Amino acid sequence: MTTQTKFGLGLLALLTLLAVVGPLVAADPNAQRDLLNGTLQPPSLAHLLGTDEFSRDVFSRLASGARISLGVAVVAVAVAAFLGMVIGLAAGASDGGLSGLLRRCIDIGLAVPRIVVLLVLLSAIGTVPMWLFALVLGATGWPAMARLIRGETLRLRHAQFVAAARALGAPEVRILWREILPGALPPVLVAATLGVADAMLLEAGLSFLGLGAPPPAASWGGMLLESRSVMAVAPWLVLAPGLALVAATSAATLLGDALRRRLQPDAK
Amino acid sequence: MRWLLRRGADAFLTALVAVVLLAVVVHLLPGDPLAVIIGDRETDPATRAALAASWGTDRPLYSAVGHYLAALVRGDFGVAMSENRPVATILLERLWPTMLLGGLTLLIDFTCGLALGLWSALHPESWRARVLGGLTVVGYALPSFVLGMVLVWLFALEFRWLPPAGLLDQTLPLDASLWVRMADRLTHLALPLATMVLATIAVPFRQQRAAALATATQPWVLAARARGVAPAAIAWRHCWRPALTPIVTLLGLWLPMLVGGAVFVEMLFDWPGIGSLIAQATASRDIPLVLGAGVLLIVMVQAGSLLADLLYRLVDPTQRDR
Amino acid sequence: MTPLLEVTDLRITFRRDSGPPIVAVDGVSFTVSAGEVVALVGESGCGKTLTGLALPGLLPPGAELDATTHIRFNGTDLAGLSEDALRGYRGRRIAMIFQDPLTSLNPVMRVGTQIAEAIRAHQQVSRGEARQRAIALLGEVGIADPEERVDSYPHQLSGGMRQRVMIAIALAGEPELLVADEPTTALDVTVQAQILELLDRLRVSRRMAVLLITHDLGIVAGRADRVIVMYAGRIAETATTVALFATPAHPYTRGLFASIPRIEGSSGRLPSIPGTVPRPDQWPIGCRFHPRCPVVIANCREVQPPLEAVATSHLAACWWRRRRPGEHATGPGRRARQALPRRRIPQRQCARRARRRGCLLRHRSR
Repeated sequence: MTTQTKFGLGLLALLTLLAVVGPLVAADPNAQRDLLNGTLQPPSLAHLLGTDEFSRDVFSRLASGARISLGVAVVAVAVAAFLGMVIGLAAGASDGGLSGLLRRCIDIGLAVPRIVVLLVLLSAIGTVPMWLFALVLGATGWPAMARLIRGETLRLRHAQFVAAARALGAPEVRILWREILPGALPPVLVAATLGVADAMLLEAGLSFLGLGAPPPAASWGGMLLESRSVMAVAPWLVLAPGLALVAATSAATLLGDALRRRLQPDAK
Repeated sequence: MRWLLRRGADAFLTALVAVVLLAVVVHLLPGDPLAVIIGDRETDPATRAALAASWGTDRPLYSAVGHYLAALVRGDFGVAMSENRPVATILLERLWPTMLLGGLTLLIDFTCGLALGLWSALHPESWRARVLGGLTVVGYALPSFVLGMVLVWLFALEFRWLPPAGLLDQTLPLDASLWVRMADRLTHLALPLATMVLATIAVPFRQQRAAALATATQPWVLAARARGVAPAAIAWRHCWRPALTPIVTLLGLWLPMLVGGAVFVEMLFDWPGIGSLIAQATASRDIPLVLGAGVLLIVMVQAGSLLADLLYRLVDPTQRDR
Repeated sequence: MTPLLEVTDLRITFRRDSGPPIVAVDGVSFTVSAGEVVALVGESGCGKTLTGLALPGLLPPGAELDATTHIRFNGTDLAGLSEDALRGYRGRRIAMIFQDPLTSLNPVMRVGTQIAEAIRAHQQVSRGEARQRAIALLGEVGIADPEERVDSYPHQLSGGMRQRVMIAIALAGEPELLVADEPTTALDVTVQAQILELLDRLRVSRRMAVLLITHDLGIVAGRADRVIVMYAGRIAETATTVALFATPAHPYTRGLFASIPRIEGSSGRLPSIPGTVPRPDQWPIGCRFHPRCPVVIANCREVQPPLEAVATSHLAACWWRRRRPGEHATGPGRRARQALPRRRIPQRQCARRARRRGCLLRHRSR
């Protein structure tokens, strides 16, 4: 295990701890507990990361935001990976017209920038519940995943061991399930891990544009948005969610790299 | 040549279907499409019907989409609801700031990023390369808007060296000299450009380093050394040049990435480009403007991937005979 | 006659992050005279490729020459030269060709450019003239339509043609020594013969010495003047080709001979030496071949055998031939002992046996 992998695992453990245990020990993220002492308090023993302009405890909000940000990203990637897997496998394994049609679908999916689709959909829906947000985020992420899986499927279909299975008379469905899918999984796993970082960035970015979790929910992107207007006087409000985001995406990137080295040693 | 025609037709068809899909989705969205114009004012049904007829929002879906496409063919993007100006004019206005920011980012990423990547592949053991590698992991993970906020806080609010936002200083006297205006433009460009570059440069860097590391151990590099080729020529012709293929692939995926990043950065810095335009247009639910910007982005993305495929064939001789 | 190349005590070690350094080539000495063909034979992992790479200073990262090593080329010790100075030798005095002609050519450069690159690395000539010379070289290595092929990319050529291009590149600097590392292993059998034929012809016309590195004793016959058999980083046996084919002294050499397929009288399975070459960090104590040797005596397990004269210019490192009267093999394969050839063979029989082993004694104009 390299130092980078250890670092990534450490970050992941810290973030999981923050998301799982944080909200249990920290105060209510929406409570304005300390209005008497004023708003925008800098970090202190009472408020580890200070308070925001409504006198809410930043650490509490960071911890509850961890649940939102990590949860949304993981669900979104799972949805994208599932859709991409189904469409990509079908596109790679089918022949003739269907294969061409699916390939075209993937191309079209890739042709529209993801951010445009997300902006249009999310602004149309208005206030979005978190589960729907995660679904939409995932549903717009499938083309890249599908293209990857289609490529892998095509490669594996012509591999010798698949030809051998076919020569032994294994039915196509069984070949797809037992021979091709396991072979296509490693790159998918790597892409999904790296995709968590992308989803997290998108979630935060969209929240930053005011399209994410509606206030007073505490997502990291939303916290950044709220801190923007008071940045000059309270920079810790930027740093706390910003660093948390960097830590989370770094962890995903480092672990994705580690997985790639482990699962695809011959890949570039 | 035949390949180019086929590939071009392919790109066109893909873009067309994507545009149609986008138009359908936008027209299907729930809510009153005229809300932008009417706002909170009281309107009687007659005015409302007249408005709907003049904006074409009373048409059924297929007719609306059909009319939109027919107008597009004539180069007519429609009129923006929020500004009552032609969408094409607005897009043109907004295009060049995006091109300036995106083009410079691309240029810096693909010169400095690639050079640094190659350099660290050739000196994998040096401490500088290790530090650089660690920094790029952070750079890769750093959200552009977080980085942008930190940069604004540091350079615009704390030190007051650079303006925090905007394309130029509106209070500049009209008769200001060319140099003053140039300097003003540059200072306004500095922060958004730095944000974009720092947030994206890790990708070409890492790709180039990985590709060059892979080629550096290829037998042809050893063979070139064995015939006495100078180290600089080895690095250039035998390590960098064969590693170009994955870089070109990356270039094709680059435009969509740049668009995604540009939306956040342009919003943060009030940069009047396409990215902030589409965010504002979706927020105000200005359907013609959203569609127009969407069409522009789709065309840009297709053009980018077409260009990348073309370059791909130039760079990799084994692709040409296919 | 002073030899063109004189390698003494070649010792190549790999540094490791943990543990002692690994010695991959352990005290190899040999000479190559001008115009001579010397074959370096052994299984993969015996250090023969590293030996070839060490000559022009092309060892992989982490590998180092020992301070006691000397590689004298025309009297200059290459082991002490700087990278810059070595570059003047590479291609110009010592050229190399490699096993895999596909990956040894840069896939995105035209073959003519790669030949021209070799020419221009050592001579001040214009691009146009380098191109003309590249065409001439392509013709010399037997490529049809050299004017057209000079603009081909490697993937447009067949394996045999690619290896011809590699040879043309090697010839470009007009070297005195050609190190050919498994030049035909990746090729079809028929192409193999053509390439070897070509190398033979060029060697004579250009008066080059050749160090032919191979695992295949079959291609050594009739081409090499002398053979060096390597095992686990050391020389097991060295002799003139005729003597080695007639009276192989080392059990390992005999094992290699037994595994050459023959056209006449093929009967059943080819015998092979059991096991594989151990990794450099797992070399056994004593004679490194003893775990695989059919004739092991007590000494073999304890002391490394020195390289000793068996006959005139015939050396072997083996305890078996120095065994005490009545001492029997204790190692694996007692039965193999009975199959060993008798020690003394009359001169006439020697030549006959050599011929039977495929060693065609062709007349050489030297």
